[in-house]
Amino acid sequence: MEHSVAFPFLPIGTVLRVFAPDSPQAHSIFNLGIVVTIILGTIFVLVGGAIVYALMRFRWREGEPDPDQLAGNKTVEIIWTLIPCAIVLALFLLTARTMGRSDPAPAPEPDLVVTGHQWWWEARYPKSGAVVANEIHIPVGNAFSVRLDSADVLHEFWVPELARKITAVPGHPNHLWIEADKPGTYLGVCSEFCGTEHAWMHFLVIAQSQAEFDAWQKAQLAPAATPVGDSAAKGLALFQQTSCVNCHAINGTSANAGVGPDLTHFASRRQLGAGIAENTRANLHRWLKDPQQVKPGVKMPDFKFTDEQVTQLVDYFETLK
Amino acid sequence: MNGITSALERAGLLTIEQREHWRMAWLSTVDHKRIGILYMVTALVFFVVGGIEALLIRLQLAVPNSTFLHPDTYNMLFTMHGTTMIFLVAMPVLFGLANYFVPLQIGARDMAFPRLNAFSFWLVPFGGILLHFSFLAGGAPNVGWFAYAPLSETPYSSQLGVDYWALALLVLGIGSVGASINFIVTVLSMRAPNMTLRRLPLFSWMIFVNSFLVILALPVLNAGLVMLLIDRRLDTHFFLPSGGGSAILWQHIFWAFGHPEVYIVAIPAFGILSEIIPVFSRKPIFGYEFVAGSTVAIAFLSLLVWAHHMFTVGLGHTIDLFFVASSMLIAIPTGVKVLAWSATMIGGRIRLQTPMLFCVAALVQFLFAGLTGVSHAVAALDWQTKNSYFLVAHFHFVFVGLIVFAILGALHYWFPKMSGRMLSERIGKWTFWLMFIGFNMTFIIQHFLGLAGMPRRIYTYADLPGWGWMNMVSTVGAFFMGAAALLLVWNLAASLLRGKIAGDNPWNAWTLEWATTSPPPHENFHELPPIRSRRPLWDIANPDRPDPMVGTKWKAEISAPEKNTSSVIAFIISETGFFGVLILAYLFFHAYPQPGPGAQDLNLLKTGIFSLSLFASSFTIWRSEVSQHKGNHRAMVGWLAATILLGSIFIIGQGLEYWGLFQSGVTVSSNLFTTTFFTLTGFHGLHVCVGLIVLLIVLGLALAGDFKQGRSPALKAVGLYWHFVDAVWVVVFSAVYLLPHLQ
Amino acid sequence: MTTSQFLHSAWTWNPVVLIPCVVALAAYFAVFRDHRRWGWFVAALGVLLLTLLSPLNALADGYLFSAHMAQHILLLLIVPALLLLCLPRSVSLAVRPRVLGHPLVGWFAGVGAMWFWHAPVLCNAAVSSRPVHALQIISLLVLGCVFWRQILAPRESERLSPPGAVLYLFSACVTCSILGIIITFSPVTVCSIYSMPPPDTLGISLMIRGSWGMTPERDQQIGGLLMWVPMCFVYLAAIFAQIARWFSEPARLPEHTA
Repeated sequence: MEHSVAFPFLPIGTVLRVFAPDSPQAHSIFNLGIVVTIILGTIFVLVGGAIVYALMRFRWREGEPDPDQLAGNKTVEIIWTLIPCAIVLALFLLTARTMGRSDPAPAPEPDLVVTGHQWWWEARYPKSGAVVANEIHIPVGNAFSVRLDSADVLHEFWVPELARKITAVPGHPNHLWIEADKPGTYLGVCSEFCGTEHAWMHFLVIAQSQAEFDAWQKAQLAPAATPVGDSAAKGLALFQQTSCVNCHAINGTSANAGVGPDLTHFASRRQLGAGIAENTRANLHRWLKDPQQVKPGVKMPDFKFTDEQVTQLVDYFETLK
Repeated sequence: MNGITSALERAGLLTIEQREHWRMAWLSTVDHKRIGILYMVTALVFFVVGGIEALLIRLQLAVPNSTFLHPDTYNMLFTMHGTTMIFLVAMPVLFGLANYFVPLQIGARDMAFPRLNAFSFWLVPFGGILLHFSFLAGGAPNVGWFAYAPLSETPYSSQLGVDYWALALLVLGIGSVGASINFIVTVLSMRAPNMTLRRLPLFSWMIFVNSFLVILALPVLNAGLVMLLIDRRLDTHFFLPSGGGSAILWQHIFWAFGHPEVYIVAIPAFGILSEIIPVFSRKPIFGYEFVAGSTVAIAFLSLLVWAHHMFTVGLGHTIDLFFVASSMLIAIPTGVKVLAWSATMIGGRIRLQTPMLFCVAALVQFLFAGLTGVSHAVAALDWQTKNSYFLVAHFHFVFVGLIVFAILGALHYWFPKMSGRMLSERIGKWTFWLMFIGFNMTFIIQHFLGLAGMPRRIYTYADLPGWGWMNMVSTVGAFFMGAAALLLVWNLAASLLRGKIAGDNPWNAWTLEWATTSPPPHENFHELPPIRSRRPLWDIANPDRPDPMVGTKWKAEISAPEKNTSSVIAFIISETGFFGVLILAYLFFHAYPQPGPGAQDLNLLKTGIFSLSLFASSFTIWRSEVSQHKGNHRAMVGWLAATILLGSIFIIGQGLEYWGLFQSGVTVSSNLFTTTFFTLTGFHGLHVCVGLIVLLIVLGLALAGDFKQGRSPALKAVGLYWHFVDAVWVVVFSAVYLLPHLQ
Repeated sequence: MTTSQFLHSAWTWNPVVLIPCVVALAAYFAVFRDHRRWGWFVAALGVLLLTLLSPLNALADGYLFSAHMAQHILLLLIVPALLLLCLPRSVSLAVRPRVLGHPLVGWFAGVGAMWFWHAPVLCNAAVSSRPVHALQIISLLVLGCVFWRQILAPRESERLSPPGAVLYLFSACVTCSILGIIITFSPVTVCSIYSMPPPDTLGISLMIRGSWGMTPERDQQIGGLLMWVPMCFVYLAAIFAQIARWFSEPARLPEHTA
């Protein structure tokens, strides 16, 4: 098995993504990080320096007697207990301030509801009704209040450039704000272990201009196009006859299950299997032929389709723009 | 075979009579030194297992999109690696060192309870085998060492791996509690006459304080594991949100144990540094009082900070902030220790032999780990770095950078005492440098991987910028560490056979273990040197400038309490932790209205009457003790029999109550009320039954004529336990039966 | 009303509190000839007055459970400790019968005062009824003194030995923490009177709920956390003091060199 994964759409500007904040929330965490690094780094240099100094200056030499048996100095010890107290107090106040800034109270109604599944993400826009999987579109400069749910086990929502991470806990909805300062595509991952395919639970946050976002949302709300062409129509028929419909939904057809990702606009998405492969015709073919081969353990079983059937399905899915 | 026996014999580990039966002599031993070595050998075996798992993990991660391992195999490997390294390597090796050296350092002949000691040890291999048996029973656990619910629950992990994991940890937890009770009582009751608590060597002091932490924290995990097993086997929903349970509750329980656990393995390492750094700097520790006192502070605070592992689960800023404060505070006593060790070196005459090399590296690496730890206490930063490789790097800096390095230092320091032979200094230095370079190569880079956004526990990763080469560096470093481990094993084996003879005190150290032969005789000391300060051997070697005498002002630090009573009190403390969790879980779920059976379906009056019978039995056992005190043997037997009768009435009453509930279709899995009700009352009933069995044994002994001469501590100890069981019922009865009527 | 207006205006000059304090101050100087420890006494009175006259008291009076908890901690742990510290070192606090001086009595007094007054019925009664409130304040002060007597009795011989004191304080701390944990995580309102809209005599309800963002749930959480974490720090400080006391006995130089 080989993965031909390419991420041409990644923000390859920097390696240390935590240090490349692109939203006010991430910026406030980043700023705190710099201050804390300076404080803690200074401590490391001072104490580490003292140890190195001792190692260089106070070495044992053959024949020298044992040194003065100094067993402590109360004043010194009290001083070096009090100094950390002051540092801790400062750090505490800084932390409290940043927590408020980077994670304000949620809006009364969420703009976006994200649900973690084993092993993919579902995103719903309750105000418009749009549903999408493993991709989140947001307008630039517009903070979205996100409610985070889980359909099964714990997952964790993490886009280092944009926001804090927070766990998706079943039965305990959590909230965060997500916002981007400039257009771009940001990679998000699941950072809480959630089972076999925890590694492949990526999602993309796509920040667009308001106009682009509106256009995208409008397109997402449209029902799926009826396929033209013989092969694609056969693909639709196959989709509806087999157990595909037990898990998936396609708006405009009879399929409306909510177990797996909604496929209405499948072809508009950029990746397959929550990041394991790019959404290309070849990869989709490989996936439908045997999903277990591409993503071992994924909940979608191998349906043992013939090559012809797979081609028909691929033809149909390609119409779901 | 002859090679082994003759090596053991030369090392003084085998007497001539035992030579024929050397296997039995070791398997049946109750000698603390042999048990200590058994602990360490067991830990070494599992260290190899856990190390191979680590290397496989690093091999899989060496390149992006790797297909070397199946995802589930990888998940099993990291679960087993974590569990093995913590429960089967770090804890046993530290218990082993403590077993060997605490009695020697305090001038005792053996541990307080040698047979309990052997039992506690044998639970380690038993637990280890139980854990690894899961490989044969359908697959090892693959849910991570903290087994977060609901992933660890049946719907998401239906194989037996998690059950074996939970059972193994229960077994190991019981063993750890047993060993720790033994350490507490040993330090309290077995000290040499002039070895007051304030003259304890710091290693023994820290093991003493640490043991309290073990008996407080491990039962919390045990309670959680029991609840998880009940969930999995009896189809209940403690941690399953789909049935009204709480996934976050598991995290609270796990980390209420898990954070103290970090310190349970770190505090002995602190103790090791506090022994070795002064000896190799030729100076006493800088500020014994502060180092000793800060240990108490660390132990205390470590119980208060667990929710800093949960800054991302959404407890709310209010709760988070309180835990930010308490977590940061723990940096203060820890900082005091680091500064004390550094100040010990300043102005000394530092000898950089292998033990000291390991300890200096441990000190610097721990300084770094402590500082990244503070950055995790800063909750807002934790929101970025948590569950990333930054966190992986941080805790490996604690577990390997501090603890493994300190343990290796201790092995090189104490090996001559245990075997009578020196380890090769040349191979030792090679081991150190390989280990030092390998460790830092493996883990420094992982901080940056975390900042680059790599989450932990992923079996592979996309070829993102920088990730590939950083992971490759890390993998190469891991193999350096593997090489160091091989060298260490070679050094241990080779030196055991033909190392230089060590003599009593090769390092010119100052604590009592160096005042006897290497290895020590069976009874440890032929004669104890005078003890009047913290460094008896310094005083002997330097009569012109001895240490100031440490006084004996407080009666409590001189006297040796009766050991049976102390052990029962320590046991009661640990049991309180266990019941505390079950009661809190009951109250937690009680607060949410449940459909189905509830507290109102219980018969307050009937249970109240049976409860009175149990409470009365506390009175009768007290009378029995008084009668024994007065020498009235017949009255004592009579009151004892009455106690058993009253206890049995209570148990019958509980049985009737259960029967009635079962008749009306109420079972443990009906709803969360019945789950918590049966768990809580069931475990209490189990304790009553155990108490009854012990009482029956005591009664049998009494009828056979024991206890006639004077006071026997046994009856007092059993009595204390019985009072405790009654006291628990007072709380359970109030919470379960009375509380609903108050609201 | 803004926060600063509130902090200025919410002081009450309650003579029922002030007069006994003045009398006590006079009595202190009259009864004890040894005045060296008067600073402790002034501190005790200061904290007591702050607790009972400041805006904290106004908030605890039906508005905020957390303010009530802060008062509770100050009255039970801080004021009694300072009171014991102000006594000249010669005063004996021996009690008859001797069983009352047993550490278990002190322990149950300290821990019991916490649990007892947080039974929902009593907690509500203490807010709604003046006499019960007065009883609560007095009982907290008395029980606090009984608790601290084991640790801070003026005479060394009447105190617990340091290792025993550490155990005493630690177990008390754990027991109170458990109550704190229950209050923090319980979805049930412990003191329901605080979650009802108060008879807003001061006109600050809007400020508390609005600009302070204090919902009843968060209020109870803070109350529970105050009992859990900062209260543990009080015990921890006392434990430190005990360890310091233990180790502070000066090391003596060996006989023959001295």
